[in-house]
Amino acid sequence: MLAMMNLPDSASRRVKGAVRDGISPLQGVLRGGVRELRDIFRYVRGIGDLALENRALSEEIVYLRGEMRMARELERDNQMLRDLLGFVQRFPNKLVSCEVIGRDSTGWWQTVRLDKGAFAGVAEGRAVITTDGLIGRTVSVSDRTADVLLLSDPSCKVSVRLARSGTFGVVAGLGAKPGEQPACRLDYVLKTADVQEGDEVVTSGLGGLFPKGLLVGRVTKVEMDESGLYQTAWIDSAADLGELEYGFVAATEKDLAAARPESLVEDVLIDSETSSLEGESP
Amino acid sequence: MTLLMLLFWLIVGGTLQAAVPAWRHMGQPAFPVLLGVVLYAAVNKKTRYFVVAALLAGLVEDSLSLAPLGYSACAFLAAGGLALLLRGDFFADKAHTISWFGALCAATSTGAMALLLRSKGLVALSGGAVLWRMAGSAILAAAIVPLLFGLIRGLERRLGTWEDRA
Repeated sequence: MLAMMNLPDSASRRVKGAVRDGISPLQGVLRGGVRELRDIFRYVRGIGDLALENRALSEEIVYLRGEMRMARELERDNQMLRDLLGFVQRFPNKLVSCEVIGRDSTGWWQTVRLDKGAFAGVAEGRAVITTDGLIGRTVSVSDRTADVLLLSDPSCKVSVRLARSGTFGVVAGLGAKPGEQPACRLDYVLKTADVQEGDEVVTSGLGGLFPKGLLVGRVTKVEMDESGLYQTAWIDSAADLGELEYGFVAATEKDLAAARPESLVEDVLIDSETSSLEGESP
Repeated sequence: MTLLMLLFWLIVGGTLQAAVPAWRHMGQPAFPVLLGVVLYAAVNKKTRYFVVAALLAGLVEDSLSLAPLGYSACAFLAAGGLALLLRGDFFADKAHTISWFGALCAATSTGAMALLLRSKGLVALSGGAVLWRMAGSAILAAAIVPLLFGLIRGLERRLGTWEDRA
């Protein structure tokens, strides 16, 4: 055990990466199964509610409404794909689309695991976003998986500014408190700065870690800091951090150059169906 | 429980733990499958087998989180050590005693992990949050560990690898 605890950093990463890569296909399968079950449950629950409301209706009407519901589901999926298409076209960086296959198994950190890693051009310290906004940054990358430290984790700090007034500050996660949604807090805002509820918070681009202008969230409450020198604002993250299914990693040209060509071909194929990013492979 | 079966349960445990969302109301404790496997080895197998189980389970758990390698193994060894001390004093075939036992060991494991992580400054949790999480992990383990013991024992009997306390 002492040997395990004193392994050099590179060896420790390799061991952890090997175990994660070994388990990740199972995680993907299980996640897919859970998603299917959830969809079935939602569908069945919908039928149950309908039956309660419309006991007098015939089986045929129930059947037709079920068909309609399925059509709406398809329409919703279609709309989501269209949104993704528009989003990918708007975003200037190279994006690697990933699926969320798991969460931190210990619960000590606020992280999610993505199904793509170094082979697909994902590197550590890259911004991860959804169509709604920023969700965090990659912190641990193996060949086939990447862990994302979410905005709600206290150790995830992002330099931001308010879109309306241009005021700068730092957003940090508050972790998950018993019975509360994970939340973030905006610190180090000058006491004279104009901060209002509903203000949009976007990344400032300072520090170079996160691209400039990504939506982080909206201000829900503003207070004066205990010291009286700064204001503190509570932020409701733009993306629903508790229900993440997909994410895009903002990759650099260097990351993509280090990726495996066959993995990139797969990504470009996926992207070419939803966007105009064909030919991004090096 | 052969080494192959141990590996099977560790993979199942690691996959399940990463798939089941943590419950905020309970302080976000881990779904205690890997801990259950370690406790099963501590209660039913020879000491060296339990040590191997704790080390491997720790390796899997740390690999699936941001914890440095070896931390979870320490926590599992602490909980398993308690199990070794207590294993002569409870009925390993009674669900309710296994339930209490699982709860006690889970709280110990969570406390040990919190001590390690906080001592290295890797997490910033208040004492109250840690106590809340210890209580949550105890409640979860009380429900999960007896079920897991039954599953592992049932599979062992089916495969013919079950033997009474070594």
